Amino acid sequence: MNAEDAKKRVMASITEITDGEVEPTEEMNLIGKNARLDSMKLVELCLSLEDQAGDLGFEFDWTSEAAMSRSRSLFRTVSSLAEEFHAQAEAQA
Amino acid sequence: MIIVTGASRGLGRSVAERLISSGREVLSLSRTSEGVPGDSVTCDVSDYEAVKAVAQSLRKEKREIEGLVNAAGIASMNLAVTTPPSMTQKLIQTNLAGTIHCCQLFAPLMIRKKAGSIINFSTIAVTLGLKGESIYAASKAGVEGFSRAFAREMADFDIRVNCIAPGPIKTDLLKGVSDEQIDAIVAQQILPKLFLPDDVADLCEFLLGPQSQSLSGQVLKVGGA
Repeated sequence: MNAEDAKKRVMASITEITDGEVEPTEEMNLIGKNARLDSMKLVELCLSLEDQAGDLGFEFDWTSEAAMSRSRSLFRTVSSLAEEFHAQAEAQA
Repeated sequence: MIIVTGASRGLGRSVAERLISSGREVLSLSRTSEGVPGDSVTCDVSDYEAVKAVAQSLRKEKREIEGLVNAAGIASMNLAVTTPPSMTQKLIQTNLAGTIHCCQLFAPLMIRKKAGSIINFSTIAVTLGLKGESIYAASKAGVEGFSRAFAREMADFDIRVNCIAPGPIKTDLLKGVSDEQIDAIVAQQILPKLFLPDDVADLCEFLLGPQSQSLSGQVLKVGGA
């Protein structure tokens, strides 16, 4: 999985968990006042990515101190979440 | 499957044994494997990474979790001014942080199913403000506050979160407490009698079952206070 694949996975997951009601963009905020996902959908997104990571053979840990400190929050945008997802896949390859 | 923490002794053990005898599949978590009923995993709930490892293992095995009973806890009867900071830290880390660790790491296993019931343990000392239990009560008051807010967070996923707050219960853990002390506490309950582990197990079965589907964010006080 390359960085582009990771981005596509995150965006596809958002489309799926929102039943197509949210059209994700790379810069779409996942947290904060401009967030397009509510907290429930954000949790579902994390679980979806965790399941996909399992299928791909790595652990996606969205709660680790390291992940949080790298970019202050991996949930800032779709891109930052995809970058973290890709980084963790690479680190465990 | 139902996860029961603190299952090697006291109320945790009684609850685990009851659930097993009722035909429920139970995974017991405790710091020691000795005397633990059912399938068991050694885990110190005050250690976030240890709890995380158990949660990851269950997810990989695709185990379905219906309930979580957070009975792991420690007590210390001391005046606040004579309690060493290490004990304060231990009480907070085990009773409060341990409960939070288990909730935040095992809840995602229930969120996937959009169903589940979580039971956290408080104490009647929170309501009664018992002398000599200030720090213990503080750690459990934290559990109650956390549980009420966590109940709202989990409501979106049809997961219920409630607390049981026992008074003195006839277990081995009461061996170090004098009869006079126990009687004094029991006398302050609305129902002034010493309840048994079975009474707490009854409440656990109720809160884990469909009969309590209308309850979340509540604290059930054993004996009343």
